Amino acid sequence: MDTLAVAAPVYPFQFTGRTGDYFRIWIVSLCLSILTLGIYSAWGKVRKRRYLYAHTHLAGSTFEYRARPLAILKGRAIAVLLFGGFAATGHFLPTVQWTFVALLLVLTPWIVVAANRFNAQNSAYRNIRFGFSGRIGEAAKVFLGFGLLSIVSIGLAYPYYRLRRARFVVGHHRFGATGFVEALHGGDFYATYIFAGLIVLGATIATIVGGILLALMASVLGAKSESSRAVAYVSIALMYAVYLLAFSYLRARVGNLTLNGARIGQLQLSSTLRARDLFWLYFSNIVGIIASVGLATPWATLRMASYRARRLVLIAHQPLETLAASTADRATAMGSEVSDLFDVDVSL
Amino acid sequence: MTTLRFQGRFRDGVSAAELPVDVERDGGDLVIAGREQTLRVSLAAVVADAPIPGVPRMLALPDGARIETVDHDAVTMLFAPKSPIDAVAFWLESRWAAAVAAILVIAGLTWLVVAIVLPLGAGPVARMISPRIENAIGRQSLATLDRVALNPSTLDAETQQQIERRFRRFVAGEPGEENYALLFRSGALGPNALALPGGIIIVTDDMVRLAPDEGELMAVLAHEIGHVQGRHALRLILQDSGVVVLITALAGDAVSMSVLAAALPTALLQSHYSRQFEAEADEYAFAHLRRHGYSPQLFADMMRRLQKADARAAGEGSVLRYFSTHPLTEERIERAEAQR
Repeated sequence: MDTLAVAAPVYPFQFTGRTGDYFRIWIVSLCLSILTLGIYSAWGKVRKRRYLYAHTHLAGSTFEYRARPLAILKGRAIAVLLFGGFAATGHFLPTVQWTFVALLLVLTPWIVVAANRFNAQNSAYRNIRFGFSGRIGEAAKVFLGFGLLSIVSIGLAYPYYRLRRARFVVGHHRFGATGFVEALHGGDFYATYIFAGLIVLGATIATIVGGILLALMASVLGAKSESSRAVAYVSIALMYAVYLLAFSYLRARVGNLTLNGARIGQLQLSSTLRARDLFWLYFSNIVGIIASVGLATPWATLRMASYRARRLVLIAHQPLETLAASTADRATAMGSEVSDLFDVDVSL
Repeated sequence: MTTLRFQGRFRDGVSAAELPVDVERDGGDLVIAGREQTLRVSLAAVVADAPIPGVPRMLALPDGARIETVDHDAVTMLFAPKSPIDAVAFWLESRWAAAVAAILVIAGLTWLVVAIVLPLGAGPVARMISPRIENAIGRQSLATLDRVALNPSTLDAETQQQIERRFRRFVAGEPGEENYALLFRSGALGPNALALPGGIIIVTDDMVRLAPDEGELMAVLAHEIGHVQGRHALRLILQDSGVVVLITALAGDAVSMSVLAAALPTALLQSHYSRQFEAEADEYAFAHLRRHGYSPQLFADMMRRLQKADARAAGEGSVLRYFSTHPLTEERIERAEAQR
């Protein structure tokens, strides 16, 4: 063993997508999807994602997305049937709608496993595919069982449910033959959700008290109805801002906890997303998208991808070259294209 | 045959290692030369991925190894595009003119669907929906309105019954007569009348008070009956649902766009009948009034009153005004007076 402590190499992620390039891919995808009544959207999804993956750099190499458009088309057809049936019956046959809700619930564990598996198996780095080995039974326990528990406990068990979800998803991923090991702690999740709840609660109380005070002031001073409406609009805007802040905080914290809690062999991720950065990104992205009637959507996507990459590094206590493919993956890579119950993209 | 040479990165698919290689075409083979080893594979056994502008090309070798290269030209010369869909997409994605054309096509199609296809399609679809379901939708809308915007009427029972009786005689013999229901409500809508799907007609207390006698009130109700007969409320709901579906489909791939999609139904709540629906309901009202021995002049008089009340409300800064939902009043008054 070395007597000198050698610092492990740290590889930063880097995103190099260009807005102009991605915009053209995006707008062509949108246009062809409309002209083909949604069929092209499967090809569009693959092309957009391949662009994003190919511009995500790590240690001199980029990621690769390999999904076949037909598998995505299959998944979208299922989704359209399910959600279309749900939406159509909602207006006219509310009782039949419950059948769709029940069907969706029963299918949830399969959807979770299939979506994760599809995404993992079609993602690769240096020609080593990711994988996902979660089981439907366990997914049912986590997503339905603990999901129900968090409802029954009026939300008290919700952070625990999110912990179990994160454990299930992270713990069953693998890179090649190397499984992910999760080290996630319930205490972190509870602290995060309690703090987010306090942000919302504090802001709600402040808005109510402030609103009452302003209303009193207005009635004493005999202000016009227009100014009181302005006060109402401002407080509504402030409430939305606080919700967005709480949302950004949760996204940043839970994102960091989840990524940092994963060990891949001797590799470790370090994500340092910040709530204030995400808040600003979400806010400016929404404003940009609305102001541009949607045309700024690709710009918003790339900004987010670029930020996430900037805040993520890989700490490698073992050389990346020593990670191997799983033998099963090598078999399927060489054989014909497998098609099974899971070879369908249901992640929307 | 010219020789073709390009550089790439070779990954064997066994470990996450990569090495730089020189690739060269030699007859029907690809010769892949690394620092230590040289590999020869048949060109026919190599599969190239679909090209995307700005994305390196990937060549899949038969044993699971892959070569990545940024030399698009070389790969294009070696491998004919496999899928025509991806070839067309690549051609379009490579030029700005196509992007501009795509924007124009999307804008044009959106306009076509919202302004022409949905209004045309809503009529036939509305006819396919049974009166029972239409009525259920109407009751659902009423429940929502009662919750958010309307209060019980403060009119005395006698007045209500009197108007109700006149209304019953007024709709006697209309198709679907038994589905009609006249409801009295108060609230922030001011003098107003609404026709919900399935024959539910709401008239506000302010409207009843504004009408100097029942003839003028019947003129307003005749107009609402016209909306019911044309199934305008249902057609409007169908059109709006179509717009929501369209927007959701357009924005489907962007998470942040769901914000817009969520805000849209609220905006649509404030949408109003098209000029065409109003004109149809007016025509129906004129004929209906004459059939029951009233003059269409009553309709013109009532419109004038509403216009005046509306101007007063505008002075007070009221948000919900009758004419914000009934445009082009002058034109409609003139048409009513031409009917005498």
